[in-house]
Amino acid sequence: MMADRRRINGPPGGTRPAVFASNLQSGTSATDRAQRQRQPSELRKIFLKTGLIPTASGSSYLEFEPSASLAAARANPKSLIPPSSALKLACTVHGPKPLPRSAAFSPNLVLTTHIKYAPFAARQRKGHIRDASERDLGVHLETALRGAIIAERWPKSGLDITITILEAEDDRWWGSAPDSHDASWGMMNVLAGCITAASAAIADAHIDCLDLVAGGVAALVSDDSASTSTVAPKLMLDTDPAEHRSILSACVVAYMPARDEITELWLKGDSSKASLEDGDDRTGHEALIDGAVDAARGAHAVLAEAVRESLLKTVGQA
Amino acid sequence: MAPPAATAAPSVPPSLSLPPSQFARLQPHAYLLGHLSPPSASNQPSIRANGRAPSQFRVTSANAGSLTHTNGSAVVRIGDTAAVCGVRAELLHTEDIASWSVSQASGSNKRRRLADLGEKPTEEDEDEDPEEDRAHIEDLNLLVPNLSLSTGCAPGFIPGAAPSALAQSLSHQILSLLHSTRLVRADDLRVWYQPPNLGPEELERHNDEEQMDVDAEQSATAEEKPREIKAFWVLYIDIMIISLAGNPFDAAWAAVLAALRDTKLPKAWWDVDNETIVCSDSVADARKLSLRGLPVASSYGVFEADAAAGWRANVIPDAVEENAQAQKDKKGSPERWILADPDGYEEGLIQERACVVIDKEKDGKTTIVKMEKNGGWTVDTEDLRQLVEMSARRWDEMKRILEQC
Amino acid sequence: MATSLPPVAIPGQRLGSIVAYSAGPGTHVQQSNIYASIAGPVVVDPAQSKTQTKATLRVSRILSGTPQISPASSAPIKQKPRYNTLPAVDSIVLARVTRVQKRQATVSILVVLDETSATTSDPSKLASDNDNVASILTTAANPENHSSTDELRFQALIRKEDVRAVEKDRVVMDEMFRVGDIVRGSVLSLGDQSFYYLTTARNDLGVVMARSEAGNMMFPISWKEMRDPVTGAGEQRKVARPY
Repeated sequence: MMADRRRINGPPGGTRPAVFASNLQSGTSATDRAQRQRQPSELRKIFLKTGLIPTASGSSYLEFEPSASLAAARANPKSLIPPSSALKLACTVHGPKPLPRSAAFSPNLVLTTHIKYAPFAARQRKGHIRDASERDLGVHLETALRGAIIAERWPKSGLDITITILEAEDDRWWGSAPDSHDASWGMMNVLAGCITAASAAIADAHIDCLDLVAGGVAALVSDDSASTSTVAPKLMLDTDPAEHRSILSACVVAYMPARDEITELWLKGDSSKASLEDGDDRTGHEALIDGAVDAARGAHAVLAEAVRESLLKTVGQA
Repeated sequence: MAPPAATAAPSVPPSLSLPPSQFARLQPHAYLLGHLSPPSASNQPSIRANGRAPSQFRVTSANAGSLTHTNGSAVVRIGDTAAVCGVRAELLHTEDIASWSVSQASGSNKRRRLADLGEKPTEEDEDEDPEEDRAHIEDLNLLVPNLSLSTGCAPGFIPGAAPSALAQSLSHQILSLLHSTRLVRADDLRVWYQPPNLGPEELERHNDEEQMDVDAEQSATAEEKPREIKAFWVLYIDIMIISLAGNPFDAAWAAVLAALRDTKLPKAWWDVDNETIVCSDSVADARKLSLRGLPVASSYGVFEADAAAGWRANVIPDAVEENAQAQKDKKGSPERWILADPDGYEEGLIQERACVVIDKEKDGKTTIVKMEKNGGWTVDTEDLRQLVEMSARRWDEMKRILEQC
Repeated sequence: MATSLPPVAIPGQRLGSIVAYSAGPGTHVQQSNIYASIAGPVVVDPAQSKTQTKATLRVSRILSGTPQISPASSAPIKQKPRYNTLPAVDSIVLARVTRVQKRQATVSILVVLDETSATTSDPSKLASDNDNVASILTTAANPENHSSTDELRFQALIRKEDVRAVEKDRVVMDEMFRVGDIVRGSVLSLGDQSFYYLTTARNDLGVVMARSEAGNMMFPISWKEMRDPVTGAGEQRKVARPY
């Protein structure tokens, strides 16, 4: 690879991440896998605050509540290997501002979304240049927001939405071999967080929206207890991939409760083997989408509270 | 149509009656000047447009260790400027260093090290050869700081684009300050290996091959084989400026300092069987870095009442006399102000900048680690003395903040 | 009916039925109901004229403390509802001259003078980015490159024929504007993808702030001349009537 002359590069021969002795002893690991302590439909708490970045027209900061095992590990640190991680991100909105000279005339607001992980956001060090998954996330976010923004109110102007992920969700339990699962499930939680945070920042910037669009995740998980695959996968909301042995399918939605409308839907994996309650004749993917919408409703409550709180604070000051 | 703005900006020409907000945007220089030099009759103190006294820094806070996937991390906020720093340690095996075997074989380092020790026995660094310390950290690139402004931190930085000139310059300033302060000790980054003593038969064979004097060699190897460096920790120090409202350097450096103070490296050793470096994940085995001192950076800007005056005096000789007269007339009211910790609005109006990096020894003695001044010529030696005093006070404040975080 | 209205609203919040109200700025209509589309205080503007029968519901961008039940007298009938803070036709703007050519001057719009902000007593209490000193102080300077800040501002052209109302054919652009001048202008049209069009062809429009060649702030002495208070030299400009 060519050295990047605009950045400070490490040793030319490259470096290797630390290998822990406990990981080398195959089979047993020093730390047990994190276990979900929440009920299947119980959501994590979300910390969300708007207007912390005054140089932007709108901004927000979002944090997911750390899992029970991560909280325990922080309170009483024993191992350097964190059991799971908790999403932390900052979102800014710049604009409405003029479109670049080269751009064609647009009667509507032109939305640009940009998501970047900090190099230290995940277990594996991320590069400085946006990779395919970060671009993919940006596209999903744009779709989610475009359906919520009233773009015709802001002719020939542009709006830039930038999200910096300071800490990402795990894609799976760290102890599993890297090839044990196919999909990067953590990305879906990251997207849900990005949607909720961006929605708050857009409201902070006073850009017209149909509703505060919120993100939510649901997944079909198959949880071990040494049993065979005969145990049918269960539906859970707001899944932390680090807490599950196997996620078969997951779904993230961007949802507007006022209109009961989904602006973005992303479903991955095999949802055909869902075990639902008796009498529930929904198909697996229907149940999954309903679950994600329920999770988004939960996020919307936090979102509405944060936007209202910052509004009342401003009104109170004036 | 609009209410009068005379209170905020005394120097408004009669033709204008704009609200202060518009005046601030249209004539920023006059707006700031109006605040700093209130009419003498009004008895108002000279205060900046942001409400701070000229020597006042913004409210600063620091918080360390909240990022899960780092060896050390910190968030520092100076007013509305916020920097997040994460330190990630990875291993550089000496076998991956192209020039390693050559430089070690020469052995010249060892000899000079002994000589140095004989000359000046220093207290703290007794087992450190400054030259070897420098060579390892700088030549092997063991400290890798990178600062990013592509975070949406301010309008004008295009996310996804290559690092801007400002971001590149800040990254390099941090790197050179890390090097010149020698903040991180090379020995904290070394992973040593003590090879076991070889059996006598094997030793014999070795000596035969090398055709050496058996007797002389035996006495040396009988004690211990010299231990060797098998790897170095490389510290990737990434700084994300999350919010930029002026003076990013002070915030970035404080975040680096706080993150390095928070950094823990796992215990690491050479595993002969796997032929690699293996670490212990036990927190009890891990150790913190032993940093050299606490260098604190303080930045300043110089705001001039008539920014063009100095230039005119030099470029247009005829104007000199007139200018000298003007200087005399205005005696008593300063022509320029040194503003500590300038915000984004002030930075746009400032030509001359200064940065002072200060450390204090245990006995309270102030050491100037770095002093930099550029963009103008109005700051003289007396001003510099004042800057050092202000920076020394700032050091006390930052020490308290960093020790609490 | 008005009692059921919330004092403040957030996007997506239902405010009332279109049977009772018309939908104003900051709201939108969905299935016969008016919903808020921005966060802010809810304002009811009483029906203005005989043609209007319903009061208008809007969500204000101005986050002042007192709920704005605007009295009918203060709302001029010709005032058009403002759905955004962008320059619109007839908006009065303050702009900095960035380029003067033979047939036109290019300016960069710094401030859109909102009608609402002009009638409010204390502009520093407005939340709009244009009128909040604190936000200007934090955002005004782009630390990276000061010349690029113009890319973040809306650009406009003043064509030669739009400079003044009289003697249009004798206009020499260099005698009307200089680079760096602050001009008060009125938006003629939204123009093409990159430029708005401004006019200064009114007594109250034209240069409001200018520095002389010597670098001093000048004061106006007539509708076409300003003077340097230090050197006493006069310079030609299309001057806005001071008031």
